[in-house]
Amino acid sequence: MSEVLQSLFVLGSTHHQAPLEVRERMALTPENAAALQQELHALDDIHECLVVNTCNRVEVYGLAGAPTVEATVRDFLCARNGVSRELLDAHSSWHTNLDVLQHAFEVSSGLDSQIVGETDILGQMKSAYADARAANCTGIVLNRLFEKSFQAAKSARTQTGITRGQVSIGNVAVDLANRIFGHLRDSRVLLLGSGDVAEKTAQSLKSRGVADITVASRTYENAHTLAHSLGGAAIELSDFAAQLKRFDIVISSTAAPGLILGRDTLAAALKQRPERPFFVIDVALPRDIDPTVNKLENVYLYNLDDLSNIANENLELRKAEIDRARTILKSHAWNLWLQLRRRTLMASS
Amino acid sequence: MLEDIVISAREALAIGASIYLSAFLFGILSLLIRKPYPRAAIFTLLIGGFLFQTLGLNLRGAEIKGCPLGNIFEISQFIAWSLVLLYFLIGPAFKLRLLGFFTAGLAGLLAGTALLMPNWDHPYPPGIFGGNPWIELHAALAIFSYAMFAIVALVSAMFLIQQHGLKNKQFKGLYQYLPSVQQLDLMAKRLLITGVVVLSAALIFGAVFWINHPERVPVFKLTATCLVWAGYLIVVVLRIQKRLATRRHAIASIGLFIFALASLWPVQSARDTTATEVPAVQQTSE
Repeated sequence: MSEVLQSLFVLGSTHHQAPLEVRERMALTPENAAALQQELHALDDIHECLVVNTCNRVEVYGLAGAPTVEATVRDFLCARNGVSRELLDAHSSWHTNLDVLQHAFEVSSGLDSQIVGETDILGQMKSAYADARAANCTGIVLNRLFEKSFQAAKSARTQTGITRGQVSIGNVAVDLANRIFGHLRDSRVLLLGSGDVAEKTAQSLKSRGVADITVASRTYENAHTLAHSLGGAAIELSDFAAQLKRFDIVISSTAAPGLILGRDTLAAALKQRPERPFFVIDVALPRDIDPTVNKLENVYLYNLDDLSNIANENLELRKAEIDRARTILKSHAWNLWLQLRRRTLMASS
Repeated sequence: MLEDIVISAREALAIGASIYLSAFLFGILSLLIRKPYPRAAIFTLLIGGFLFQTLGLNLRGAEIKGCPLGNIFEISQFIAWSLVLLYFLIGPAFKLRLLGFFTAGLAGLLAGTALLMPNWDHPYPPGIFGGNPWIELHAALAIFSYAMFAIVALVSAMFLIQQHGLKNKQFKGLYQYLPSVQQLDLMAKRLLITGVVVLSAALIFGAVFWINHPERVPVFKLTATCLVWAGYLIVVVLRIQKRLATRRHAIASIGLFIFALASLWPVQSARDTTATEVPAVQQTSE
């Protein structure tokens, strides 16, 4: 039985080994991931199997009866995603035993993610585990490994700062909106233009429950389409200045060559609602909004650089916590390793 | 029951002030070393400080057989006590982060400064309020309104700090724990209106006494009190008319509170002079 434990493995191709164009080819559809899991589990040499398939990683966790299954697992993965063995071998990693535990813990806690400390991965790991368990592809060892990895992730997140601060432009904007308005349920958003960053920022605000979103664009059809996707309304770009007083958050990302919102226009709108602040986000290049509006009382202007700086500084703070988080995870991994060893030794005696 | 307590009023008040300051220092330390804000610990310390201060004021009240508001020392202690009491009353309702931390700081500063100034705690004859319950109510309400203005000043200071952070793209340390500028502004407005209502009520009770005994109320005290009241009233009116909002409102609230505090000392001195000039009236009015 102790040999079985020695054959705990993970084969993975992630952003660490593979560039975006390779990851695109490695990616599995949910159906292919489930099928690969079943195929591997059906093999005599593999007792337990679980496939984690996200936009940044394809990983196959397993417990093998013999330590010689690497080539088999690689072949099956290549067959499923249609890539050559050479490509997979060049852009993948293979861990065994204690390293598998440490790796799984780091993945669950977001330490191994492209954006350190991101929390989506924990949900994806939980979902992959639930699917594999429901398909009877996991057993005592992988069940324990994944359940412990969720606990270890919680410890690392609560005891260190790896999740502190927001690291995406959209979430930084939401964070700032919270510092200005408290809650966002009464806040009304005006989107000027239909740039990608502005759209994502609006989506982040929408997910936090803003009252409504209005889109104004040079082309009314574009505004209407985007407004529809955000569940909001569209107005003509020429009308936005007259309606400015109705809004609390303005996100601008037009392709206009010059300023489209000046200090006087904003000051006039502010005069009509002096107790409510304006949060103005200018993500356009060249800039859409007069930088001097930040000098107006109760107006808070942030441009793309400001938001990126905050996101980058938060990311640096998170990175500074990696070593501490890794130490915590190592201790969890070692404890689990000893538990599994004890269990297998007892089972074999 | 109070006679059985071995601790003196001053000692109890000193312990209370020390606990407030400890809470404030603990908060600063946590922010400096980037630990999560210790809300529960600061709340617990505030409760401890409040209990000792309540004990101290009770012991002092038992000594003088009345509301302990006879000198600057007692007034400062009473304002600090009312400030913490107000925090307990409104803190859970408004759920403003860091308000406990700032309350601990101001309460510790007021109570601690009063303890460090021996001449503020000068003796005065018992029954300084002439046994008139309306005057005691006037004094207690006036001091309570000052505590409200103290909270308004704290909230305004928090607003200015948060606004400074937002305008200058600062987001670490203290800034990340402060409530939003809009919440702070709204709370300052509501509390200021309530404070002015309470102070007005206090002045109405005081006016009834003043009409019957104009010789007992020094002109300087009357002038200073009316100035404080008028100042706050003007700010409230301008705020309701939306002519004074956010930053200027915050600065006005802090400035007025400093003026109100600064006016206490000459007001008290004027009252002491009058009290020594008309001791007979004081005794007969009981």
